[in-house]
Amino acid sequence: MSARKFRDSDTVDFLVVGSGAAGGVIARELARAGLSVVVLEQGPRLAPADFEHDELKYWFMGGITANRQDNPQTFRHDASQVAAVPMVRNPLYYARGVGGTTLHYTANYWRFREVDFKERSLLGAISGTGFDDWPISYAELEPYYTKVDWDIGVSGLAGASPFEPPRTRPYPMPPVPVKSSGVLFERGARKLGWHPMPAPLAINSVAYGGRPACVNCGFCFGFGCEVMAKASTLTTVIPQAEATGNCEVRANSYVSRVEMDKRGRVTGAAYFDVDRREHFQRSRAVVVAANGGETPRLLLNSANSKFPHGLANSSGVVGKYLMWNLTARALGLFEHELNEHKSVQVTRILHDFYDSDPKRGFYGGGGLDSRIGPQPAVWAQRTAGDGPGWGKAYKERLREFPRSMQIGCHSTSLALESNNITIDPTVKDAWGVPAIRVTYRDHPDDLTSARFLQERGAEILDAAGALRVTKVPVSESSLAFHLLGTCRMGNDPAKSVVDKHHRSHDIPNLFVCDGSSFVTSGRGQPTMTIQALAFRAGEHIAAFARKNEI
Amino acid sequence: MEVTGHSRRSALRQLIAAMGAVSLDWPAIVQAAHDAHVAVLSPADLSYTLLGPADAADVEALTSQIVPSDETPGAREAGVTWFIDRALGSFFAHWRESFTSGLAEFQAACRAFDPAGTSFAALSSERQIEFLRTVERTAFFDQARLLTICGMFSSPKYGGNRNGAGWKLIGFEDQHVFEPPFGYYDRDYPGFAVAEKTP
Repeated sequence: MSARKFRDSDTVDFLVVGSGAAGGVIARELARAGLSVVVLEQGPRLAPADFEHDELKYWFMGGITANRQDNPQTFRHDASQVAAVPMVRNPLYYARGVGGTTLHYTANYWRFREVDFKERSLLGAISGTGFDDWPISYAELEPYYTKVDWDIGVSGLAGASPFEPPRTRPYPMPPVPVKSSGVLFERGARKLGWHPMPAPLAINSVAYGGRPACVNCGFCFGFGCEVMAKASTLTTVIPQAEATGNCEVRANSYVSRVEMDKRGRVTGAAYFDVDRREHFQRSRAVVVAANGGETPRLLLNSANSKFPHGLANSSGVVGKYLMWNLTARALGLFEHELNEHKSVQVTRILHDFYDSDPKRGFYGGGGLDSRIGPQPAVWAQRTAGDGPGWGKAYKERLREFPRSMQIGCHSTSLALESNNITIDPTVKDAWGVPAIRVTYRDHPDDLTSARFLQERGAEILDAAGALRVTKVPVSESSLAFHLLGTCRMGNDPAKSVVDKHHRSHDIPNLFVCDGSSFVTSGRGQPTMTIQALAFRAGEHIAAFARKNEI
Repeated sequence: MEVTGHSRRSALRQLIAAMGAVSLDWPAIVQAAHDAHVAVLSPADLSYTLLGPADAADVEALTSQIVPSDETPGAREAGVTWFIDRALGSFFAHWRESFTSGLAEFQAACRAFDPAGTSFAALSSERQIEFLRTVERTAFFDQARLLTICGMFSSPKYGGNRNGAGWKLIGFEDQHVFEPPFGYYDRDYPGFAVAEKTP
C-alpha cells in the first residue's frame, strides 16, 4: 500500500514530532492500531544510496547532523558564562533526516538492567542532585526490549554474560564476526577474571527483516548505512508504518510550536515546509519525540499564557537534568595490525563494573567496550590532542593507526538541575527559531567514575599485551551523543514532566517519549531503552485513543 | 563509495536532488568538491584562487611542519595547501576570516621572532620549529592543523589527500567491503566460550 497523504486541515489522530529512534516506533505502533498519523521530520528523506564514506562532509561540515551553520546551538559550562557556538561542531550531536539519529549511530544495543530503574531506593539520595527511581521497572519493560530485539533486529548472544538481566527470548541473530580489538579485549579481560561478552548490535550479522548482512565497511559511527545492515528507523519501522495506509511521514517539516486551545488541550503544531512556508497541522493529540535536546526546546519555545515557562512545564523541569554519559578512553598500541577501520565499531563489551558500589566512595558505574577509533580524519584530529600534535613525532603516531585500538569506558551521569537545555537569549537558527543553549558540567562523581572505568580499561589493554597504553585525561565534557533526562518521567507532577505512560502531567493529549524521558542515565548506549520505551508508549497511547482518552 | 565518470555525475545529481531541501548549501558544496576533483585531474589548473604567493608559501611551510615529508609523503605531497585555498573559498568559507587574520598575526609574530628573516617560509626548518613552539597553543595553529588534517585524510574528491597519500601513510584501505579476518589477532579466534554463571 502506498503511503497515505493528509492535508494540514485534516485533523489526524496523532501528530508525531520526529522520526528517529522513538518517533519511528511510535508512529508504526499507532498506525498499526488503525489510527491516522502524520510524522513531521525536520530533516530530509535520504535514500540509503545517498550515504557516502565522506568524513569531511559527515564530521567536519555538519553532514546530516544539526550543523552549526543552520542549526546553531550554544554551550557554556555554567550559568555564569556566556554561551557561544563552537567552531566545528554543535554540543549536541544528532542527525536530522527521516530516521533521526538512528541514521548515523553506532547501534550498540545494551539493555538497561534491573538496577538502573531503582538505584535511588538501593543507594539512597545523593544530595544536590535529582537522583531518583524510575516509575517503571525492568520487568515492565522486558517485553518491549524483546520487541526491539525482534522487530528492529538485534544481533547478539543470549546467556553470554552472567550479568545479563532476564530475557524472554534469545537474540534473533548471532553476533557479528569478532574483530582483533574484540579478541584482545576478551583475552585481557579473561586474564583478569572478568566477563567479556559479544556486543549486542542493531546491525545484521545475517540477512534479517528484508535487509542484508553487514559488509564490514567500517563506516557506522557518524555515517548512514548504505547497505541497510544497520537498523535505522528509516529502513525498519517507518516503511512499515507507511505500509498500513494510516501514516504519512513528512520530511523537511520543521516544527516550531505546539499550539494549545482555551480548554488546555493541544491542537496541533506549526511547522515550516521545505520552502520555509509556515503551515499548521491539526491533530487530536501530539507526541513529541524530537530527542532530548529538541524536545525540551520545542516545549520551551511553545510557551503560552497558561504555560509562560514552556508547554507542559508547570513543574519547571522541562529542559533540566540533562545527562549524556561521560565517556573515557584508554588507548592501546599493539605489535601487529588490527585494522580497526574495518567492520562495526564494537564487538566485545564488559559489564563487570556496571553497578554503583558504595565501597568505592562515589556514585557511578559503567560498561567497557572494545572499539575502533574513528576513521582517518577524526582519528588524526584526536591523535593530535592525545600526544605530540605536530612534526615528526605526530607523523609517527599517525602511522600507528592500523595497530591501535581503544577501550570506550561509558559511565553514568548524575541528574543535575544545573545541567540543562534552555533557549538562547540571542541566537536563532536559519528559520528564525530561537536556538538551544546547553549548560553542562559533569558532576565530580561522573568524572571519578569515568576515571575508575578507564583504569579498568587500561588494565585490560595491559593484560592483552599492549606495547603502550594511554589513558586520555578525563576532563569536563562539552560534546554530547546521548541526550537524556530533559523531560523526565515520574509519578509526581511537581517533579516530572510525563507520567509512566509518557502522557504529560499538564496536558492530557500531549505525550513525550524519547531520551528526554529517562530518569537516570544508564551506562551509555541508550537507544535500546529509548525504543523499548517507545514500543511501550505506543501500545499505551493507542489504547488511550481507542478508549477516547486522548 | 568511489564513483567515476557517468556514475559519479549521476550520483552527484541524485545527491543534489536529495539535498536540495537542506538550507546548508549542499549543491554548491558538492559542486565545489567536484570542481576541486576535476582540477586535480588536470594539473595545469592547480593555481591558488585565494592565497597570494607569499601567504601560500607560508601556509605550505606551516602545514609541512605539521605533517612533514620524509621517506613517506607529508602534507606537501598530499596537496594540503591547495586544499586549504579551495576550502576557504567554498565549503569552509565561514573559516576564511579567522584564518586570514590568524595568518597575519602568525606572520607578524614570526617577524618579531626573527627580525632578520623575510618570512616564515624562508626560515630554516630548525628555526621554523623553534618559532612554532611559541605559537603551537594559538587558535590559528589549531585551525591550521585541523585544515591540514582535513586536507590530508578526507576524500581526495575535495582536492587534498592527493593519490590517497594520507590514507597510504596511515594504512587505511579505501575499500567498500571487507571480509574477516580483519587483522592479525582475529585470524585464529577459536570462538566465544560462555563463562560460568557465577560472577
